[in-house]
Amino acid sequence: MSGPSTRAGDGGRAVSARPRPGHYRRPWWRGTAAVALAFLLPSLVALTLLRLLPGATALWESLHHTSLLSGRSFVGLGNYLDLFANADFRGAVAVTLLFTLVVNPLQVAVSVALAVLYTRRRMAGSKVWRALVILPIATPPAVSAVVWSVIFRPEGGLANALLAVVGLPPQGFLTSPDQALASIIVLLSWIGVGYWMLFLIAGINDIPAELYEAAELDGASPVRAFLNVTLPMLRRPLSFVLVAATVSNLLVFAPVQILTGGGPEGSTNLLMYDIYSRAYSLGDMGRAQAEVVVLVVITLVIVAVQFRMLRSED
Amino acid sequence: MRKRQRVLASVAGAASLALIAACSPGSGDGGGDGTIQFLGPEDPAFFEPLIEAFEASHEGYTVEYTQVPFDQYNSTVQQRLSAGDESIDVYAVDQPRVPWMAAQGLLEDLSDLEDRAREATTEGQYSTGIHQDKLWALPVWNSTQLMFVNQDALAAADIEGPGTDPSERWTWEQTAEAAEAAQEAGTEWGLLLEQTDFYYQLQPLMESKGGGSGVVGEDMLDQDVANAEWVEAMEWFGATFEDGLSPRGVGTFETSPLFSGGDVAFFVGGPWDLGEFADSDVDWTVAPMPYFEGGEEVTPSGSWSWGVNPASQAKDAARLFLEYAALDPAGNLASTERQTIIPANTEAAEEYLPRMDALAGDRSAGAADLISHEVANTGVVRPVTVGYAQFEEVMNTAFADIRNGSDAASRLEQAGEQLEDAWAPLR
Repeated sequence: MSGPSTRAGDGGRAVSARPRPGHYRRPWWRGTAAVALAFLLPSLVALTLLRLLPGATALWESLHHTSLLSGRSFVGLGNYLDLFANADFRGAVAVTLLFTLVVNPLQVAVSVALAVLYTRRRMAGSKVWRALVILPIATPPAVSAVVWSVIFRPEGGLANALLAVVGLPPQGFLTSPDQALASIIVLLSWIGVGYWMLFLIAGINDIPAELYEAAELDGASPVRAFLNVTLPMLRRPLSFVLVAATVSNLLVFAPVQILTGGGPEGSTNLLMYDIYSRAYSLGDMGRAQAEVVVLVVITLVIVAVQFRMLRSED
Repeated sequence: MRKRQRVLASVAGAASLALIAACSPGSGDGGGDGTIQFLGPEDPAFFEPLIEAFEASHEGYTVEYTQVPFDQYNSTVQQRLSAGDESIDVYAVDQPRVPWMAAQGLLEDLSDLEDRAREATTEGQYSTGIHQDKLWALPVWNSTQLMFVNQDALAAADIEGPGTDPSERWTWEQTAEAAEAAQEAGTEWGLLLEQTDFYYQLQPLMESKGGGSGVVGEDMLDQDVANAEWVEAMEWFGATFEDGLSPRGVGTFETSPLFSGGDVAFFVGGPWDLGEFADSDVDWTVAPMPYFEGGEEVTPSGSWSWGVNPASQAKDAARLFLEYAALDPAGNLASTERQTIIPANTEAAEEYLPRMDALAGDRSAGAADLISHEVANTGVVRPVTVGYAQFEEVMNTAFADIRNGSDAASRLEQAGEQLEDAWAPLR
């Protein structure tokens, strides 16, 4: 709206509108800044009400303790000290970090591979395959969780039926402490890969075809073209996908609640579920708020490290 | 162009104001228009007769029921009520949770109804609503557990199953042996508890061994969940899954289709299953819930009470509905019309229980007498403590782990430590 042409047009008027004694001066709320502010206002209000205010509340509440007998009292960092002394919380942090280290590279790598496959390679029925990969996005997470609970059922489930076909013994999946987290990762990747792939397909389609033609003329193999053309040109959408996937996966809740309840033996007790359980099942709001703050800090640190790594590649 | 800019800017500003207004505390859905918002975990169809009867007898009032799935019910109620949600007027509360909810100020004091409440139900049921000498909730239903016996499965194994007579009650050891034989004769699963990892149904295992409820102490905030009897009971429970008598991957309340499909020889469930299994093609009978050899004969008890949200804007209307459902025999009876559950109201129960015998023809014969016997003689209450919510959460998770193969002794030790930690803020 307020592009260069508009400003050029205003330039002449600005000279004639030089302040003179007794001349009407336009109030600030009728100027361009006010219009810009009005446009920004919904975002600023939403940011303040839905992000900053709850964040500040969580931080403040995390410094308090509420007891049925003694009421509410300021405890400083007491909730944080209690949390770090708690074996279940330490377990939840370890599970969350392990989960983050596995699920994000896995989802991003598969998304990139599928995006390249569906754009750079001509394969029969690629549009149908692409639609099938995208389809899980349209399935509500709770429904996906129920579908996968049937697939992963140790007795009579589809996964064990397939394993039986290739002569492998039945597995415990969600009922096994060694396999439950991996099973959740498979479920989440089934949903997430198609979603992140969409952004990467858009990024690949924006890469000028001339670059690939030049690489081909130089005798570059498809792998070389991928490494030297696709990946460097895909860095920006890739950065977005990596950061967004990380944040999204740190906030995973519904599948854990529906499928495992954090078990078996705490093996799927991700921080988000632990916060919910501490707040609403155990009723320990002070420590739950402290855990929220810890989760936000972990998220910020991981995202900052990712940004730094991606920047250093520049 | 400028004019359009300003119009758009004004719209953006108005949107911001709307956003602020939307985020500000509102007056909620409840109010003075006679609408009562009612929250519970049951199927909405169950409450249609009750709501219709109430609306017919109380002109100007309407009841809107919202269902929250059973698995998420307690945490959702806790979340909404502790945030001062005004859009709930009446809500269902699991009886042992009444002290916890009352202590947090999430139940309205109903002490003025004490005399009427005491008169309407049994002393045991009445006492579930009491915390610190005040009445906070009214019992609507009661419960027990029965063992459903698949006669087809037992016939295939040439075994004669238990009858309905409580004096001929089978032991768990006897049941497991017969279940194994039935499996060998072709039935897929031998034994299945309906609520595979819920304290409600597993408490009798420990109580039968003499291990107690797991909660001790003057203020009922000390745990005793790793004593020898608890470990023995849980080792037996874990072995039923380890040995393949019961399936591991079927969650609580997903179990009844296995029995009605003929895949289970012995199924321990509630009176509600009498109606549920009535349509099944399986030839089944009912029997008393087993006990451990040399142990006590015990069964679960208790069910849902209903209370009023202190933040409700329609408390008077809410109390009217609650009184009708719990204290008026006609209302209490209407709450059981579409589901098989024991009315907490004594008068309603007397009229209702005989119906249970005929729910599934000959198959449910003897159920009414058996239920009456269990309620009067073998029912154990869940521990009455302000820490019950934490206790149930920690124990249910431990039971699920033991079902999935965790060592019972060490897992119960861990649960004990978790309870100490969870109860610390309550002391």
